[in-house]
Amino acid sequence: MSQRLREEDVTPQPAGYYHLARAVLYREFLIFVRYPANAIGGIVISLFFFGVLFYGGQMIAGQALTDSIEGIIVGYFLWTLSVGAYSSISNDIGSEVQWGTLERHVMTPFGFAPVAMLKGVAKIVRTFITSTVILVAMILITGTTLELNLFTIVVVATLSIVSVLGLGLAAGGVTVLYKQVGNWLNLLQFGFIVLISAPAFELGWMRFLPLAHGSALLQRAMVDGVRLWEFSPTDLGLLVAVAGGYVVVGYAVFQYATRRARRLGVLGDY
Amino acid sequence: MESAGSPSADAAPLTGGDVAAGTETATTNRHDVAVSVTGLSKRFGDGPTAVTAVDDVSFEIETGSIVGLLGPNGAGKTTLIKSILGMVLPDAGTVRIRGIDVYDRPREAYAYVDAMLEGARNDYWRLTVRENLRYFATISGVDPDSVRDRHDRLLTQLGLEAKADVPVRELSRGMKQKVSLASVLAGGAEVVFLDEPTLGLDIESSRTLQRELRRLVEEENLTVILSSHDMDVVETVCDRVLIMSDGAIIADDTVAALLDGTDRHRVQIASRDLDAAIVSRLEDRFAGIRVEPYDRGNVIELTTDSDGFYELFDTLRAAGVTLERVRTIEPDLEDVFVDLTAVDRGER
Repeated sequence: MSQRLREEDVTPQPAGYYHLARAVLYREFLIFVRYPANAIGGIVISLFFFGVLFYGGQMIAGQALTDSIEGIIVGYFLWTLSVGAYSSISNDIGSEVQWGTLERHVMTPFGFAPVAMLKGVAKIVRTFITSTVILVAMILITGTTLELNLFTIVVVATLSIVSVLGLGLAAGGVTVLYKQVGNWLNLLQFGFIVLISAPAFELGWMRFLPLAHGSALLQRAMVDGVRLWEFSPTDLGLLVAVAGGYVVVGYAVFQYATRRARRLGVLGDY
Repeated sequence: MESAGSPSADAAPLTGGDVAAGTETATTNRHDVAVSVTGLSKRFGDGPTAVTAVDDVSFEIETGSIVGLLGPNGAGKTTLIKSILGMVLPDAGTVRIRGIDVYDRPREAYAYVDAMLEGARNDYWRLTVRENLRYFATISGVDPDSVRDRHDRLLTQLGLEAKADVPVRELSRGMKQKVSLASVLAGGAEVVFLDEPTLGLDIESSRTLQRELRRLVEEENLTVILSSHDMDVVETVCDRVLIMSDGAIIADDTVAALLDGTDRHRVQIASRDLDAAIVSRLEDRFAGIRVEPYDRGNVIELTTDSDGFYELFDTLRAAGVTLERVRTIEPDLEDVFVDLTAVDRGER
């Protein structure tokens, strides 16, 4: 600001990435605690569908469902995580466009990339909290026991949904460019069911798709009690590569879409 | 820890080589240039349906001034502002903010600039006023703890002190508009772009906002580029006005010079001899005549140039009209604006 202000104030200090991370995460926290209805609504709906799946499945499939309940719980847990991460990041970008705040995030001295990434991290943290509540409720409802090695679960699940975050970024970019396509893009989350179910079949090339390989590892961790360091380097390497690959691709799509939106003059239009 | 793009040596005042020849305006001191726009052009679409939204625009804006950007709908004001900010990528031209090229080094340039685009909706309504100030200060590259005093002062000056801890969604429209302005100023931007800042405000809120803008410029050396359809706002607060039409700058001068330099005269004439036939003849010749009954005749009010003025009185004399009351009215910025844009569109 002006010389006069500089003299009056304590000299304004530049913000670092720590301050940026704190601001983005704190905002997410405030929205979460101040407006819990969305989160609680999501938890209730997820549990309702799980209840239908569990009790309905028991009536139809009986013992067959009970035998595979651990796998279903782990898959459902990963699905709620994936849907939470995907829809929150893609819908969030759409909302920022609507609120007129997207342009302010593009117009930051940090550059939009770190801001978008930190927002993604904030969404993952939030999604972990709600999905953990759902997981605990599912375990209590079904009376199932799972191997809950926190470190292994957090690492494997996080890397699994990071690939979905990449898809969310890409979907957000498409929303910036084409606006009213959010509902169509939300349909993609039903495709996650197929990807999460993939380990039930021969994975093959599907292991390079988002979620599929991560889902297989998470099943082994939570059902068979395999610890992170007990996975082969190839499995872990592929998990990291798929996560990183989809984030890079998703971010590239987002960058391309926002650049094209700037070229067309539609960035921030709604 | 790496920090957000901070001012560098390149942000020093412009030298002679930084600005294209012929773009400097009479009112601009080369050493105090906050914004420099050179040869900016933007065209949307291709072929016969293509629209040139910004057409080879060049100007400079002096530090510590308020410049109004006026133009009819579709003149290219918003595209120009967004192009300056890099939100729209132009086809040609350069923009420098504090000497930093916005397209080559956007992160550095953004350390100096912020914008309130299209009214009030550019902050988070679910956060409180103070939370918004802290968040957007951080986003604009400033540690919010180090500008706590500035935030307190902004809240006081804008009359938001009592609402500091209230979520923005619970505030009135006028208050929301002020929060938007406060959040734009929260990070200490030196150059701010305000697109329709008084849109939808009642008269009192609009005046308060205008007063605060003027004060911020005078006391804190802020540079403001303000786009508005409200001529009164522009006339009251702006040091200088850029008028756009069809993507080009058709006038660039101080408000006073624009008012002095216009060849537009508004006149009000009352006469009992001004019957329907004469009024009809005048309406055929002069656009936008206002007519009101007067005794058994009429009062007419119209705006015209010198030639039109002579023609008007010749017509009245030829018709044998006795002038019972003649009143000339000082032109305001709206008259100047209408005149200039009509000339540009070939309507006069």
